[in-house]
Order: sequence, then C-alpha cells, then structure tokens
Amino acid sequence: MNSSEFQKNLLPELPHLRRFARALSGDAALADDLVQDCVERALKKQHLYDSTRPLRAWLYTILRNIHISHWRQAAPWGQMKNIDDMEGFEGAIEAAQEHNLSLSLITQALDHLPPQHREVLVLISLEEVSYREAAEIIGVPIGTIMSRLSRARSTLQKLLEEGGTTVLRVVK
Amino acid sequence: MFETVENWALHAYADGELEGDDKKAVEALLARDEAARKVVASFAAQKQQLHRAYDAVLDEAVPASILAAAKGRSLPRLHWVTSLVAGLALVGLGTVLGLGVSQHFEQVQQASLANRAVVAYQTFAPEVRHPVEVAADDQDHLKAWLSKRIGTEIKIPDLQEAGYTLLGGRLLAEEDHPAGQLMYEDANKKRLTIYLTANTGAKEQALVLADNGGLVTCYWRDGALAMAISADMPHDAMMTLAKDIYEQMDAKG
Repeated sequence: MNSSEFQKNLLPELPHLRRFARALSGDAALADDLVQDCVERALKKQHLYDSTRPLRAWLYTILRNIHISHWRQAAPWGQMKNIDDMEGFEGAIEAAQEHNLSLSLITQALDHLPPQHREVLVLISLEEVSYREAAEIIGVPIGTIMSRLSRARSTLQKLLEEGGTTVLRVVK
Repeated sequence: MFETVENWALHAYADGELEGDDKKAVEALLARDEAARKVVASFAAQKQQLHRAYDAVLDEAVPASILAAAKGRSLPRLHWVTSLVAGLALVGLGTVLGLGVSQHFEQVQQASLANRAVVAYQTFAPEVRHPVEVAADDQDHLKAWLSKRIGTEIKIPDLQEAGYTLLGGRLLAEEDHPAGQLMYEDANKKRLTIYLTANTGAKEQALVLADNGGLVTCYWRDGALAMAISADMPHDAMMTLAKDIYEQMDAKG
C-alpha cells in the first residue's frame, strides 16, 4: 500500500477511532488528542503496517498504547500490581455509590472500571472486535481477555444495578 | 450451575465467538436455564447501552486538526473548539478568551484578531450601496491586490456550495498591518465576511469559535495567514464552513 492509498484508507477509520477513544478515555477533548496522536504515529509508521491485518485493529493498537502511556503516568490504577489476580471490585462499587449515577449511568459506570477491564469491554462490547483481535491489540492471551471481560461485565452490571437503585432512591 | 466452564461460554456465545457444537450446547443450556438466559440478556443490554452512549460520535464531524493529521499535515490542537462545539461553553467572546490561563499574550492577539474582524463586519456588512471596494467580477485583481497589500498570497474561497456568493472585497487599515475583508452574501441577502491578515506572530492557532451576541466568528492562525470568518449562523454550520474554508486556503495551487 503506498502512502496516498494508506491515507485514503485512514479517513473512513477516523469516526471509529474517535468512538473508541471517547469510550476508552471518557473525555471528548482528551479522546480527540488521542486520535490525533494515533493518526500522526500511524502515518509515521505506516511501513510497519501488516496489510493482512485489518487497518482498524492496527490503529486501535496504536491508540490504545498511547492511551496506556498516559494513564500509567497519571492514574492511580497504574500502581496496581496484577489486575488479573484481584478479586472483585468492591472498592470501585462503593466509590460509585457515593456518586449520583443518575446521568448517563453507563458512561459513569465505565469510569469506575479499572482501565484494563474497561478497554477489553469497550473493544468487545462496543467496537465488537473478536476475542482474538482484542488479544492482539492488547498483547495478552485470549484467556486473559476472557477473564477480564467477565470481570468487567460483572462489575459493570453491579454498578448499573446499584446506580439504578440510587437513582430510584433519589427520585422518591 | 453455569459457573466455571459454562460461564465463559455464555460470554463467548453472546459475543458470537461460538460455532457448531459449542454454540448448540449453549443454546440448549439457555433453553432450560432461566438464570443463564438472564445473564446473556444482561450482556446484550450492556452492549446496547454502550452503543446508545457512544454511537453518536460516529456521526460527528471529524475535527479539522484530526483530518489535517490524517492527510499528513498537523495543525494545532482543537481543545477549545471541541469543548465549544460540544456545547459546553457557548459564551461571549470575552469569556471564551478568558478560558486559557497561561497564554495571556496570545489571547490578547487572538482577541484583537476576532474583535477587528467583528468590527469590520459590523461596519461594512450592513452597507447597501458600498459593501465592497472591488467587486467580484474583478476577482483576479482583488486577489492580487490584497495579496500584495497583506504581504502574503491569499486565496478567495468559493462558498457557492454553502449558498454564499462572493460580492467582492476591500482593504482595511489596521494599527500594525493592512488587512483584507472578503464579503459574501446568501440568497436571503445575509452576509458573511472573511477577515484576512498576515500572521505576524508566526504562532499557529487552531479554529476557535466565538459568539458575540448572535454574530458568530470563527478564527485561526495557520502559516502566513490569520483569518476570521464572521456571520450570523448556527455554530455547527459555522464550524463546517470554517473547515471548508480552511481546506480551500490550504490547498495547493
């Protein structure tokens, strides 16, 4: 694929990259910064793109790596030792209960997931990539993807239910 | 009952990862187990909620800075614009410019760019008999003249697609440097101006939208030019038009 072809193929991916970035980061301005960084990096490294792989998955990999380098620097989650060894997320749920989850419950609930769970959930439930693609994007075995997905979904479900109850209490 | 092995199978089933016998086995489980059905339904509900929350992003216009980056040309970031367009802070000019903290000097520059564009609009857009000095039928001369006086090559964007016809343009006297104004008009005689001046600070500035009591101005600094578009139109229409103008100005040739 030559450079102008690559650029042409890049354009239709931009809306998807923006959605992925928005759901990953939860912040519109930050998300567009991520997309811009991602696009710049993709153009610079286009010679590394393996065209047997879907372009979108490759772009998601780049965007996700940039995102990760941000939260490793900034987020308290970055200090966690091994996310896959942890049991449940009672702490996250309690923290969420303290907030009023009345507005856009799902986006707020996402903010309470550890990023390692959030990215798997977003890739699979929103971007609808396969488990194998998710494993390639994140660079972990499929089993890890499934375990994180399962934890993400059950935490999210609890958050949504707890959040819903909070809303009902507030409405009364 | 569907703990352990079957728990992941429910996820895999919900995500379309199962085929053949594995898929049939889960379908058989779902047929007899209400709890399993509920679990699978909860995955689908989460998926639906995620789409409802984020799919709107797919229909949004991609910001100019990202489009430029995708074409291999990077622009300054669009922080202000994205938040403005998201409708978070559609306020008066002064407030918009007060948003930043550490960019006082640039803000003063920007403020004067937007303010001068607004003043020029308010002065000449209501003109019935003499809206322009050089009319559209002398467009080549207008382009050459303004380029020479402003000191950098300008282009006269074609806004027919957006419904605006070029009336012509004029030279403006400014404190430090000559500026130009291009004037357009739509079928309802509503006017739009493009204010052009040399980007003397050589600073780049992404598109910023300012609403000055109905008169919307979108301005930026890119390369040798600083520009401001002013018209009475909705913010999203202005952003679309401004991006179009930006691209026309930036196009080669």
